Amino acid sequence: MKKPIITFARWGNYTIAFKTLFEQLGLEVIPPEKTTSETIAEGVKISPEMYCFPLKVTLGNIIPSLKKGADTVFMVQNVGGSCRQRYYGVVQEKVLKEAGHNINFLDFRATPKDIYKKIKEVTGASFWQILRAFRFSLRKLRLIEKIEKRAQFYRPREIKRGATDKILQESFLKIEELKEEKDFPKLRKEILKSLSEIEIEKDKKPPRVALIGEIYTVCDPDINFDLESKLGKEGIEVYREMDLTYHVKKLIFPWKDWIIQRKINPYLKSTVGGHGRDAIYEMLHYVKEDFDGIIHLLPFGCMPEVTVRPILEKIHLESGIPFLSLSLDEQVAEAGINTRLEAFVDVVRNHYHNKKQS
Amino acid sequence: MTIGIPKALIYWKQPLFWETFFRELNFKVLLSPLTNKEIVEAGVKSSDPENCFSTKVFFGHLLWLDGKCDWIFVPRLKTNSEKLEYCPKFFGLPDLSKILVKTPILTETFDYRKEPFKKTLGKLGKKLGKEKKEVEKALERTFLREEQAKKKEEKDFFKKVQSKKKKIVLISHQYNLYDDYINLKIKEKLEKLEAEPIFIEEVPTSEIQNPIRQLADQIQNWPKFHWEFGKEIMEKIQGILNYDLAGAIEISSFQCGCDAVLKEFVEREFKQNKIPFLYLLIDEHTGEAGLQTRLEAFIDTLH
Repeated sequence: MKKPIITFARWGNYTIAFKTLFEQLGLEVIPPEKTTSETIAEGVKISPEMYCFPLKVTLGNIIPSLKKGADTVFMVQNVGGSCRQRYYGVVQEKVLKEAGHNINFLDFRATPKDIYKKIKEVTGASFWQILRAFRFSLRKLRLIEKIEKRAQFYRPREIKRGATDKILQESFLKIEELKEEKDFPKLRKEILKSLSEIEIEKDKKPPRVALIGEIYTVCDPDINFDLESKLGKEGIEVYREMDLTYHVKKLIFPWKDWIIQRKINPYLKSTVGGHGRDAIYEMLHYVKEDFDGIIHLLPFGCMPEVTVRPILEKIHLESGIPFLSLSLDEQVAEAGINTRLEAFVDVVRNHYHNKKQS
Repeated sequence: MTIGIPKALIYWKQPLFWETFFRELNFKVLLSPLTNKEIVEAGVKSSDPENCFSTKVFFGHLLWLDGKCDWIFVPRLKTNSEKLEYCPKFFGLPDLSKILVKTPILTETFDYRKEPFKKTLGKLGKKLGKEKKEVEKALERTFLREEQAKKKEEKDFFKKVQSKKKKIVLISHQYNLYDDYINLKIKEKLEKLEAEPIFIEEVPTSEIQNPIRQLADQIQNWPKFHWEFGKEIMEKIQGILNYDLAGAIEISSFQCGCDAVLKEFVEREFKQNKIPFLYLLIDEHTGEAGLQTRLEAFIDTLH
């Protein structure tokens, strides 16, 4: 059998970890193209008109690497309960084949057994090799998430503008280039040290804004127009609980869902698919923690997030916390988002100062 | 005591059932009127702009009922008897309704995965202060009525299928097919153009069983849907393909997330069988004249 050349769906900085996973499994990988307006346009061209935005974006990322010679696409289905994500695999396979790409589509359900079986079949790797590959990519993933969170803290406090982002980008490059697992601890130490060497105003207490909403748009800086960095440079500390580890933890330990349901019972008594409940839970949490603003991100027409949005608006009216909901799709322009963000930042600052005075 | 039932969305899933059931339990039932311009406008104004058109219409009906009755009945439909899920937007409807209207909302979660239908109805009866026996009796009589209506529908279907006119199958959800304001009287329009419209909903379940179902298992070229309507519509399409069809029209409401998935496979099914296929998207801005032109053009292409 010919060895497959793999490509997969792009997802922000996590792409680095996914790439490592496939490389460590001994597969040839052509990573998906970076998201730009061109790739989005390409994805939109062949995808169903009314489908949600992430499908179009990931499709656009995959197509260039297919042109470069990749012949197998990896896709996980059934990540988010009753939402449309479940059908990404089948629909993408269908439209890619109709567009004339002769590909092999590996669409697997997110159960460990299923994933293991499929990987074994494709790679022929031993159990230990698979385990090692998963461990290595997981360690990379954790480090990526960690430095993303650190950067949220450093950005509003940095003395030299843009210093954090510079180090962050360098670190991502270093993580991507790392091939041997035994060098990982050294690199981790080095990256964390370089981050802690950024000059900051230690006693500053900047206004705090939380990001909630759909996991893909919240975690991918290419899709949300680098929202975190933009807010950070305006002197606002950004918080975000939603990331891949959070999602995986929820898949493994279902009781997190039960706790969430208990907390949001006065507002919503059922799941609505995806991360609908989490958005309400997080918003209630941030209101309690006395945050200065909340930004809700969603792809245009995302079913769970649209369903819970009236509830989020109700919480916003009850508590008076500044709230901004941004729907993202191929027609949204960066300039429009910037204007809305600027206005929102003013509201947040006002809220913050009023709170301080009283 | 008056119970209000919005005549939209969930109502059309079981049109006779809920009103008969509450009447049998000796409650007055107030149905909202057929959809009209005021209702649509009220719904569009009060709901989230990105919500699907059908949900917006539902909220319009809800607002019409507000203040006119003691309870408004909005069930939380989660899974049906085959343990397949309803549209995820139904899950949150009672909670969203509570935000919108002042009249108390009467609700109960119908989830076959957790408990049988009868038990849930018993719980609902308890909320209304009715004994278990009364509920069971009412339920029996309701089922009887429903069955009669279904039989009549089945007879109609076979009559329609025998017709010599151009048979056109209309594919959509019940709440789009039966609401004449929403689908802009598409049935009437087609009849005027001398075609015989058949709703996919009308295909009796007896048609999809036995040989066809087995066949479907063998060469099923659509994914295993976890939505009840997905499975139902795809299977019924298999049933109706046995008859000589002139064309097929799919109607979906704007921003319907589920239809975005479903459309891909419905379209492929008809294309493979070389049956002309027309896809119509409806929302509050859809004009009657535009639809008329498209329908006429579509009918002209058929032979």
